[in-house]
Amino acid sequence: MRLSSTIRILLVGLVVVALASFLPFAVSGYVLGLLTIAYYFGVFAMAWDLLFGFAGEVNFGPTFLIGTGAYTAGILDNLYQPPIWLCVVAGTLAAVAGGVILALPALRVRGPYFGLTTLVAVLMLQNYVVVDASLTGGEIGLTVPDVITISDAKNYELALWFMAFSAAILFSLSRSPVGLILQASGQDAVQAGALGFNVTKHKLFAFIVSALFSGLAGALMVFYLGSASVGTFIDITVGVQIIIAAVLGGRRTILGGVLGAVFIIAMAEALRPIGDLANFVVFTMALVVVLLFPSGFFGLLTRTKEGG
Amino acid sequence: MGTCRVSVVFWQILVDGFAVSSLYALGAMGFALIFGVSGVLNLSHGALMVVAVVAAWAAGNDLHDDPYTGALIGIGAGFVATMITYFVIVGPLQRTQKIREEEKEIFILTGTLLWGIMIQEFIAYLYTNNAKTVAPIVNGVMSIVGVRTPKNELFTAIVCWLVIGGLWLLVNRTRAGKAVLAASMNPRGVTLLGIELSRIYIAIWAIYGLLVGVAGVLLGMFLGVSSYSVGPLTASAFSIVVLGGLGSVSGALIAAYVVGYLETITAYLISPAYRTIPALLLLIVVMYLRPRGFLGRR
Amino acid sequence: MTETAHLQVSGLSKRFGGLIAVKDMSFNVEAGKIVGLIGPNGSGKSTVMKLIMGIERPDGGSVRIDGTEVAGWPSHKIARMGAGIVFQHSRPLHRQTVLENITLALLPDKLTKLLTDPETDAKARAIAARVGLTAVLDRRPATLPFADLRKIEIAKAIARDPKVLLIDEPFAGLTSAETAAFSDLICELRDDGRAVLLVDHNVKSVSRLVDRVLAMYVGERIAEGTADEVMRDETVRRVYLGGSIETAARPESSFRDSKTPFLEVDNLNVHYGKAQALENVSIHVHAGEFVSVVGLNGAGKTTLFNAISGLLRYGGDIRREGTTLRGQSAAMIARNGIVQSPEGRELFVDMTVRENLDMGGQHLSPEEAGKQITWLFDLFPILRERQKQNAGTLSGGEQQMLTIARALMMKPKLLILDEPTLGLAPVILEQISKALERLRQTTPITVLLGEQNVTFALPHADRVYVLEHARIVWEGSPDRFAAEMGTGYL
Repeated sequence: MRLSSTIRILLVGLVVVALASFLPFAVSGYVLGLLTIAYYFGVFAMAWDLLFGFAGEVNFGPTFLIGTGAYTAGILDNLYQPPIWLCVVAGTLAAVAGGVILALPALRVRGPYFGLTTLVAVLMLQNYVVVDASLTGGEIGLTVPDVITISDAKNYELALWFMAFSAAILFSLSRSPVGLILQASGQDAVQAGALGFNVTKHKLFAFIVSALFSGLAGALMVFYLGSASVGTFIDITVGVQIIIAAVLGGRRTILGGVLGAVFIIAMAEALRPIGDLANFVVFTMALVVVLLFPSGFFGLLTRTKEGG
Repeated sequence: MGTCRVSVVFWQILVDGFAVSSLYALGAMGFALIFGVSGVLNLSHGALMVVAVVAAWAAGNDLHDDPYTGALIGIGAGFVATMITYFVIVGPLQRTQKIREEEKEIFILTGTLLWGIMIQEFIAYLYTNNAKTVAPIVNGVMSIVGVRTPKNELFTAIVCWLVIGGLWLLVNRTRAGKAVLAASMNPRGVTLLGIELSRIYIAIWAIYGLLVGVAGVLLGMFLGVSSYSVGPLTASAFSIVVLGGLGSVSGALIAAYVVGYLETITAYLISPAYRTIPALLLLIVVMYLRPRGFLGRR
Repeated sequence: MTETAHLQVSGLSKRFGGLIAVKDMSFNVEAGKIVGLIGPNGSGKSTVMKLIMGIERPDGGSVRIDGTEVAGWPSHKIARMGAGIVFQHSRPLHRQTVLENITLALLPDKLTKLLTDPETDAKARAIAARVGLTAVLDRRPATLPFADLRKIEIAKAIARDPKVLLIDEPFAGLTSAETAAFSDLICELRDDGRAVLLVDHNVKSVSRLVDRVLAMYVGERIAEGTADEVMRDETVRRVYLGGSIETAARPESSFRDSKTPFLEVDNLNVHYGKAQALENVSIHVHAGEFVSVVGLNGAGKTTLFNAISGLLRYGGDIRREGTTLRGQSAAMIARNGIVQSPEGRELFVDMTVRENLDMGGQHLSPEEAGKQITWLFDLFPILRERQKQNAGTLSGGEQQMLTIARALMMKPKLLILDEPTLGLAPVILEQISKALERLRQTTPITVLLGEQNVTFALPHADRVYVLEHARIVWEGSPDRFAAEMGTGYL
């Protein structure tokens, strides 16, 4: 029964993605650009949700993983101009290594302590990027000589299908037996251990998967933007936006992250007339949702379904 | 000549570091108090301090008030923002039944983080991202052990220690303070003795608000802040409290001096650009080796 | 005999700081046997269970499962050696169905398992059928009654096919019909050839099932044998019942407020999640009366007192002098004179004895507080000697006296004493007992005492209630207790 419902949701998702792939015929390059960013953000949010919603690890520094991936890919391209795919692979691997490093304290310390480690990791990365300006471009940012393509439509399709691919994998994983064990480990590590599960192994796995998708998405986004800066990839504000996207969409739903990301980008755009206040309004809305509807959009949907 | 220069730098670090550390201690004190008594980690801490600075700065700038009025307005603004944090965000989240008890911590963390960023965005909107410095109450320079020191620096250290001392007296020497102390050890025990916990929470948030206001205004006079400082300020208070041991006020005091001096030494001997890095490294090392901090009980 | 023992424990020890939780415990559980491990709260029985399962690391001793030494291993490895545990509190995955919760326990500890196979599904359904969950397979745990949640826990344990099964308080919170069904299930598991260890408060609740019982007190084994032998054991009787009893009850009609008693608890119902902690409990206490509520740990005494103190939500009504207490905050109830000396003591451990007492006297004027402290120092002389010492450094008995004294600083009209004897040595019991007697003789105070130790509870009492499995099952004068309730109590 569960399997069929998973497949049904994936099919519905495929239809939505297929429809979305026709958008380049209907909307302007500007809108496509916004959606491209939203899709990458969606992947960030889904990767964060796997770690928090399932493994129960409060990660306040998703941008540590994303930034590591993005900057590694960007710097490599800047220095040696290898094929782009090689840069992306290198960025992804660097992010996975970062994920393992981040996992080490997480497996030792609990709750707020781990949350703090992740914040500190972001600040360290930020400091490093600013200080080692000759390599990273510092506060001005890093300009990447290559881009994958300059076509808005192609960039859009790449981001869309990459997002769809990530969503399919992360969502299936979350609903698979492994996802079940992960959730048990996150919710009650003592009980999971007593059932014979090696909690450490499963959590490390979650960190690696989360880092893999974060790093991959970060590296791809660098080659879309053609540049990398602290403000777009590392700053705590970016991390908070990712968390908001996941929480707005609904924790522990994976797919909610994409909804949340599109919503945030769309809202920011819709609020553009009010200028710099737009971000403020978006954050305020997020806070209201956190206070009044803690289970998010997807939570609201499923709650009404369960009630019936 | 050489030894003379070395000794000047040494005294400079000693004097400068003391002022910075005292300020850090004051900033972290309220944060530690709130955590110790109610278990709340307030991630909007830095934002609340920035509110105090910006209000004091704006009062000085726009209203051309004298420094004293400006400072009072800053403290007031920090206080009001802190009370809003409690009544609008933390309090309702503590009481709600929509969220499971074990998930409340993460919601309070997320809620206060969001609130902090809202404040940051709003200040950036009103007054741009530029750094703001509050006009100091005392001006001029004096010489301490051969180091030319702005009088303001000395003033900062003195005020910090007066406030910390006052807080210590309040907690250890008054009935209400004793109740707060008791609540931090055993909230249930306090309830059973007929003391309303809700009133204790309001009282500590009020104290916290004043501490945030004072620390913020002093910071504005000493270093100056921008809306970008929100994250680092929260992180530094959080780091100091974790280093000292969550819930241990004396641990936080020690940690404030460790971090303050580490930063000053780095800034003088290596480069101001690396200022915060060694403290962050120390924090990570401590978290790996001794997660409960210097004086933490757990 | 020992070669066939699935579980062999010898010399098992554990300290927490200065406290010895488990001391040199040794026992075996053979295949196809059920052994009961009993002891009052704080006796170390739960720690033994956690040590076996690897949730806590033993400081010394050996734990063998089927001959393999597992002491000090991480939990998941011990589980894979064939040990399973049923926790007292069920914490299922809330977003998953019952079937998925059971499936979880059937999964191998691998990262490569990405699809559920039909076999696993069939197995999960079979286990669900065995424990009686078939009707609710697709429901979520939050929508199920308490007994079904316990069944999920049992199902999860069965799914691992353990050789050794540890069950913590198997019948807590279950009705008698549910208890019977649960007992049958446990017998079936024994008949499969598993070694079963039941951990519970008293012999009575597990006596029907067990082949052998081990009794623990303060970390050590005090008796072992059949259920009957252990119930007859002198040491066990002393721990649970104490020695001989003299009573000095005043008749109920002698209290002036016999129409509207000082405190009336009317049809009280309390739930913790799905578990019913109190069921239609009604008691009353007259002004000046000394009432004891006797019951084992887990019977619901603390819940009753916390409801009176306003610390819990409840159904029914609690009235003081005819006025309902509903809507008053816990602190207000305490300020108005219904004061509790709690089971967990709730002292301010980093404050001195004197400061703790001062906290109790917050509402008094300094002179009044001073007088009250002098009086209390006469009642508990040891506290005078210790007044500059931190409460955390006191012995258990001194802490208990401080807790009572701190409550008395509030000048209570009604003093609620919850388990004042918990984990204390007999000498200390006597001292506290004497202090209570003096209190009763020299002041007009009203006392509501909750105890599992009958010898302590009866001598002072004017009237006694017996609380068992969330219900009041007996009420009467203390001299009738021995005849009517004494034997069934162990």
